[in-house]
Amino acid sequence: MKSDFKQNIKKMVTRWEFILFMVLVAEFVIFGAVNFEKFMRLPSIFSSINNYISICIISLFVTFVMITGGIDIQASSIVGLTSIIIGVLWSDAGLNIWVAVLLAIVTAGLAGALSGFLVAYCNVQPMVVTLGGSFLFSGLALLVSGLSETPAYKGISGFPAKSETGEFIAFRALGKFKLFDVIPAQVLIYAALIVLCYWLLHKSKYGRKVFLVGVNRNAAEYSGINARWIIMSTYILTGVGAAIAGVLLTANVDSAKYNLGSTFTLSIITAVVLGGTLSTGGKGNIIGTALAAIVICILRYGLPLCFGVSTQNLDLPIGVMLVLVVSVRELAYNPRISSFFRNAIKAKR
Amino acid sequence: MNLLKKLGKVRWLSSLVFLIILFTITGLINPTFFSYSNIISAFNSSVVFTLLAVGISFVIMTGEIDVSIGSTMGLAAAIAGTIAQRGGSIMEMMLYAVILGMAVGIVNGIGVAIIKVPSLIFTLGIMGIVRGLVYVYSGGRTVENFAGDFTNMGSMTLFANITIYYAVVIAVVFAAHFWLTRTRSGKNFIAVGDNIGGATLIGIPVTWTKILAYVLSSIFAAVAGVAFASKYGQVNIVAGTGYEMSAIAACVLGGVSLSGGLGSALGAAIGAVIMSAISRLLVFIGLSSDFDNTIKGVMLLTIVVVDAVMYTRSVENARRARLAARASGSSEVKEGGGNEE
Repeated sequence: MKSDFKQNIKKMVTRWEFILFMVLVAEFVIFGAVNFEKFMRLPSIFSSINNYISICIISLFVTFVMITGGIDIQASSIVGLTSIIIGVLWSDAGLNIWVAVLLAIVTAGLAGALSGFLVAYCNVQPMVVTLGGSFLFSGLALLVSGLSETPAYKGISGFPAKSETGEFIAFRALGKFKLFDVIPAQVLIYAALIVLCYWLLHKSKYGRKVFLVGVNRNAAEYSGINARWIIMSTYILTGVGAAIAGVLLTANVDSAKYNLGSTFTLSIITAVVLGGTLSTGGKGNIIGTALAAIVICILRYGLPLCFGVSTQNLDLPIGVMLVLVVSVRELAYNPRISSFFRNAIKAKR
Repeated sequence: MNLLKKLGKVRWLSSLVFLIILFTITGLINPTFFSYSNIISAFNSSVVFTLLAVGISFVIMTGEIDVSIGSTMGLAAAIAGTIAQRGGSIMEMMLYAVILGMAVGIVNGIGVAIIKVPSLIFTLGIMGIVRGLVYVYSGGRTVENFAGDFTNMGSMTLFANITIYYAVVIAVVFAAHFWLTRTRSGKNFIAVGDNIGGATLIGIPVTWTKILAYVLSSIFAAVAGVAFASKYGQVNIVAGTGYEMSAIAACVLGGVSLSGGLGSALGAAIGAVIMSAISRLLVFIGLSSDFDNTIKGVMLLTIVVVDAVMYTRSVENARRARLAARASGSSEVKEGGGNEE
């Protein structure tokens, strides 16, 4: 009984999500110790998360793609495409804002479907397809912005915001609404998406299929799973996820621009990988991805505030963290090294 | 027929044909494009991309990837810029570039080949670190106001309008191509990428080959940084961001397969010319440069899809031929096999 308990504790402590959680706690302790008053203000923490919410949301969906053994580097260009489509449809075509949002999300889904089709049905490497996709969709976004009367560099603004009573009820409520005047709408949507993705990946039939395709595609096909469709669907999901991020971002900054989100790609991949998803497929975890994304957000928020690191130079600490974490993890899983340590511990006893 | 067969086999040749078709279409739409200076300047302006693409092709051939080259290029450009500010010679810049390239490459190589972290992720981390070092090195300021004739060197011509830079690059590309296709040590890269288990079994130093590939990739990127600083005359802290993606795309256009084991340095160089010429060609066709990325994306997707479909079909045909031979009896198998050889 006792050893069972011990084993359980050991299992829990060596789980990757637990380590990530401890890193998150450590961040709060360190940043809090250095500059408690500035760091520990909920509104400013939330407003910082606002800046990175797109990365958080998209990384959830890219986890699906990576579990099937693919990779998606086009999602960040879909963010800009969604944003500019909403802007042009609303301001130049005169559509209702919600219709514009819906059409933009559908377009993003189709964009994901195109790449997914090429990956799953034409057997092209995912990296190449989504690289081509990132050129194509960012290019299309620029072309769509050319349809508008507003110059591309300005961005389309002035979205419906307040009702007569002065509250944020329309489109911009997505970017400005705050529950209890503290928790922004984006964080609520993010939380809902975490729950949804967790259910989809870990509790539903679809999730089991995604894992099986990632572990062994041939075995999955022989056991009657439509592996091609599963792979394609993960890219569609990512497209829709990127569209949601694009809608929220547009609503928050009140500006529809073709190049929104163009710099997100590497942060997204960092979050997914740091979350414990194997880039070769077959292993991954929504909670891990969510925790890793939040760890990165807090790091980006805390370093300038508490240690005076320039906001332009946050790549360095995040790069160091990524390299250290993956190297240590890889070394720990290496049978030669782990057996070396085990023997050393045994010898001590 | 023979020529067609060769086109299918020698991948850089089909890229060259593609480049010629692109130029021909542009020339047919706008005949003023068909002048010697226009065509040669399309090649001359591809110096930076060619260096990046040829460098990364070593890594891609071994079946790995290196996304840190854009940052490495930026750091080398910033270092070259500060040397140029105090009027240093280009040899000094090259020396620092090679040292920087070796340092970054060795770190990448150790991470990927010895610690065995997936290459995309490790080089992604190194990319962030090197980008941060650019900021630390330049103090967040743009490096500009170069002394002497450093910025003019890019436009100095050797003969027949070919710039000195491009002449040097072409020499390097042909040397690399010769090394990769004709020598024992050069063929190791393709062997490792094609079948890593087999390469290990026949005694190829796999780890060493991969480290060497990363070192070469980073050195090429750093040298590209020197060319970048000379070409643009100023280096800001985001210089080179996104160049790694264009370099990878250039490799793909040049017939270098991202799964490793296929491709050549010459192909990567041709792909780089295509990549950097697109925006110039658009001007001649009369489209705005807004179409730049769309055309690149469509082109890239079309080429890889055609390539993949053709590959799948050839595998399928080979399988059918094998099955047919097996079905028609053992005596004919030998004959059939002999014919196919």
